[in-house]
Amino acid sequence: MRLPSVRTGFMAITLAVSIFGAGLGRADETCMSPYMAKIVGQEDFMYVWTLGVAGVGDEQDKLVTIDVNSRSKTYGKVINSLSVGGRNEAHHSGYTDDRQFLWAGGLDTSTIFIFDVHTDPAKPTLAKTIDNFVADTKGVVGPHTFYALPGRMLITGLSNNQDHGGRTGMAEYTNGGEYITTHWMPTDDNLQGATKSGKLADGYGYDIRAQPRLNVMVSSSFTGWNNYMMNLGKMMGDAEAMKRFGNTVVVWDLHTRQPKKIFDVPGAPLEVRCAWGANHDYCFTTTALTSKIWLIYRDQAGVWQAQAVADIGDAKKIPLPVDISISADDTRLWVDTWNDGLARLFDISNPHAPKQIYSKKIGEQLNMVSQSWDGKRVYFTSSLLANWDKTTGPEGDLQYLKGYQWNGNKLTPSFSVNFVGQKLGRPHQMTAGAYALYAKNAPAPTAPALATVK
Amino acid sequence: MRVASLWSAYPTTALAWILNTSAKLIALKHARSLGLTERLRALCWAGLAITASVGAHELPKGSAELAPGYRELNFSAPIPGTYMLPALHPAADAEVIDDRGTRSSLHDLFANHLVILSFIYTHCADPNGCPLASFVMSQLATKLAADPGLHDRVRFISVSFDPARDTPATLEHYAASFRKPGFEWYFVLPTSGDGLTTVLRAYGQQIVRDPSGEAYAHQLRVFLIDEHKQIRNEYSASFLHADTVLADLRTLTGSIPDPDTHPAFRGAPNPLLAGSGDYKGGYLSGDYTTRSRSLAARHGHGAETPPTGAPLGLPSSAPSSAKAIALGRRLFFDRRLSHNNTLACASCHIPEQGFTSNELALPIGIEGRSVRRNAPALYNVGFAPRLFHDGRETRLEQQVWSPLLAANEMGNPAVGYVLDKLRALDDYANEFRQAFTSGAITMETLGAALAAYERSLVSANSAFDRWYFGHDATALSTAARAGFELFRGKGGCGACHEIGTTSALFTDYAFHNTGIGFRRSMGLSAQSSIPVGPGTQLALVSGAVAPTEAPLNDLGRYEITQDPRDRWAYKTPSLRNVALTAPYMHDGSLPDLSAVVDFYNAGGIANEGRDPRLKPLHLSAEEELQLVEFLKALTGDNVEALTRDAYLAPIGDRR
Repeated sequence: MRLPSVRTGFMAITLAVSIFGAGLGRADETCMSPYMAKIVGQEDFMYVWTLGVAGVGDEQDKLVTIDVNSRSKTYGKVINSLSVGGRNEAHHSGYTDDRQFLWAGGLDTSTIFIFDVHTDPAKPTLAKTIDNFVADTKGVVGPHTFYALPGRMLITGLSNNQDHGGRTGMAEYTNGGEYITTHWMPTDDNLQGATKSGKLADGYGYDIRAQPRLNVMVSSSFTGWNNYMMNLGKMMGDAEAMKRFGNTVVVWDLHTRQPKKIFDVPGAPLEVRCAWGANHDYCFTTTALTSKIWLIYRDQAGVWQAQAVADIGDAKKIPLPVDISISADDTRLWVDTWNDGLARLFDISNPHAPKQIYSKKIGEQLNMVSQSWDGKRVYFTSSLLANWDKTTGPEGDLQYLKGYQWNGNKLTPSFSVNFVGQKLGRPHQMTAGAYALYAKNAPAPTAPALATVK
Repeated sequence: MRVASLWSAYPTTALAWILNTSAKLIALKHARSLGLTERLRALCWAGLAITASVGAHELPKGSAELAPGYRELNFSAPIPGTYMLPALHPAADAEVIDDRGTRSSLHDLFANHLVILSFIYTHCADPNGCPLASFVMSQLATKLAADPGLHDRVRFISVSFDPARDTPATLEHYAASFRKPGFEWYFVLPTSGDGLTTVLRAYGQQIVRDPSGEAYAHQLRVFLIDEHKQIRNEYSASFLHADTVLADLRTLTGSIPDPDTHPAFRGAPNPLLAGSGDYKGGYLSGDYTTRSRSLAARHGHGAETPPTGAPLGLPSSAPSSAKAIALGRRLFFDRRLSHNNTLACASCHIPEQGFTSNELALPIGIEGRSVRRNAPALYNVGFAPRLFHDGRETRLEQQVWSPLLAANEMGNPAVGYVLDKLRALDDYANEFRQAFTSGAITMETLGAALAAYERSLVSANSAFDRWYFGHDATALSTAARAGFELFRGKGGCGACHEIGTTSALFTDYAFHNTGIGFRRSMGLSAQSSIPVGPGTQLALVSGAVAPTEAPLNDLGRYEITQDPRDRWAYKTPSLRNVALTAPYMHDGSLPDLSAVVDFYNAGGIANEGRDPRLKPLHLSAEEELQLVEFLKALTGDNVEALTRDAYLAPIGDRR
């Protein structure tokens, strides 16, 4: 029989530990919520939240399922595509803490699609649509990060319904999709008890990650609807628009959801990834416009600090660092730079002095990166935003999902899916799925997974 | 030996607990003759799965790291009452039988108490699973004993989902290990399989049974339920700790903190109602400081309505009906008036940003589509005989349909579509009935309602008006007065920005070529650097960002008249409230009033059709400042009132 292979943080899945967990390595999916059940062996699927494009296929957003188990006959193939209607600026997605449902958001229409991924992991279905997010939240626009907390989802926003600028908030929903509350990002006229460490409190938002053992959440800041929906070249020529990027990182009290300290981190800090190690009291973020790695860390006195610790390429060439992925052992950080299509690997063994040790051009443009928990499989997608993406480039290198093997020294291609060629659209965030999460077996004749056969 | 080695990894605090629990003492009786390792092992299983025979199980691999609930809290527990615990959803009911064999329901057991509820099975062998829940609850019971006021208001319920093995007798045995004297802690089983399934689903518990039947995979969740049967918090293994749960219980029972004094609840002060809430003044300097305003501070003020009479400095106009204005105002802020519910009129004509957008040179439309021209400010727009920068429309009632239907603005596919959608929304039908004699939602009444609101955006009685028309000698500063002399003298501004004898709109509503449009069409705007952060500009490497969209050409009034003499000619804008409506010119290419005065001082941009009145003015730096001071004196006295009035309208979103 197939032995499932999932692992939890402190998730009390007894089977996951005593049965699922046989022969576990360090694995995943390294940017998940610590609350989340994790796939520590071979993942079976990548669910790719995909932007619809006018003139391509059915032109609408869809959840594309790709078989990524090399033992499967359909390895590297699209095995399901679920269209949801409309172009919503499909962007990020995230599982509920029990990993039964995948929530995926549209930055334009603020619609949230909740997919059932447990009933048939190979064929997700649309279980619920939240189309009143803006009204529910009293004005948050652009649901971005879907971060699992116990029994609920914490959803960061990017914008607001008053001026479509960058001031925004975060919302909480129950796992069942019911609105709970809104947390506004701290602004100068209402810091909500937080202290400004510098001059800035812009009220912007983007990503969020938590370190539960320290009772800390860290949020970052991007830009509002006006900018993320605007043509990139046009925006670069609009000096007013270019002033509307986030320049702050906020450290929050996780339990009370109250902001505690606001840091000046200029140039649009995007993805936040926190270290996994029990004594690693820090998180990383990268700034899109100023091309730097920042470390948000707790110093020896127990005080949270922010420090620019490395450059990412040449800022004048606008490499535009986008997604990042931290290895499970906290020694490596993948940094994708969208504009030059490079995957860059940084040695972060000393978090205060990351060093780029490897890079590879993945495609004409490069956005998201996901890696398995053991770091041996790395997946990349291309699309950033509908009106920022490049529109010309070599066939197959423009809008793609590509899988690679990482042997510690170099990336070796495994498979590639051309999303335009297959009339799917533009692939954005990937999340891994596995039969094992639901104690299900892959249908015959798929062979057993590699990682857990001993 | 695996068990021993695993034990060595257990923190001493957890061991101390194990040695101190009554459950362990029971086991200890049977383990006295054992060595230390065996004794610890026995203790472990007494505590973790008391009903299992000692030593019958091995400790699971991969669980050497104990959950935080077994240790001292790694941070200061939250201060009760300083934070919110909003209700998640109602706590479901189920018929249950308890360890004494008594049948009841969960809601009966709640009995208007605060409840801590967990799901367990007594054979659970994962220390970070059910045993953690029971341990933390046991710890919590001890802490509650020291707080008699709270102690009597709290009950615990542990629900087993393993009816095959957890009989009432088994539960009773298990319960004896954890219960505290004098504290109500129920150990129960749903009375039926269906009941079990229902309650598990209601509490989001996914249970997967191990093929051997020995164990279950489940998501550890412990629930905090208030006296009204509402779930107020959920705790997973990472989160569950007696100290935080205790703080939450106290938060639910404590008095509500004073929102005026406690920092966590300090409300936003009254917002300034002029200017973007995302202030970027001085952004390019090194000492930029934010002055951001809270989004939650958008509150309308019912007592104030726009003036209906003609304020000093403006011609009189026929007032619209209050009901039509109110309806138009609501429509103006309704994002559902765009095809995909993302854009309202107010998305580009933002009240506190001068009814334009201070944050964009050029607005963007539905799905981010590019728009060629700066969003015009709407103050006093009711006086304009020609609308749009190219003057192609003549009446507001008609004009409103252009952005509604433009593919790159609000993107609606047809007039009929918009009207049908409105008819289906909320109670618009009622408001149309009240506002218009016909009572119908039609192309005409929709236009009339929006036009009525726009016509109400009257603003004057500025410092200049009070000085010039009101003859108040003290109303205008010396610098502004000097600026006024330049405006109608050396600067020649008044030739197009006209001032009448009894009123002034500061525009001739005619079309002029200043060269701004010519420059854009000819691609002469060289951009050398872009802001990438406060005080930080980057000189871009050529070609760093490949264009994906050709610049949209714009020939101005020529596009309407097809007369070559009208190439790059645009309508003269009013200057009332001009200090509030940056960025400037039809393409938003000039960031502030100083840049505008600089532009005209240089005579605009030479081209064949340039208005002959544009020529170098030779204004000194001081004279430029005086002109800017004059322009700032054209801000009406009701700007904040108009904004507050605008905020009366809710922002229309899908509900």
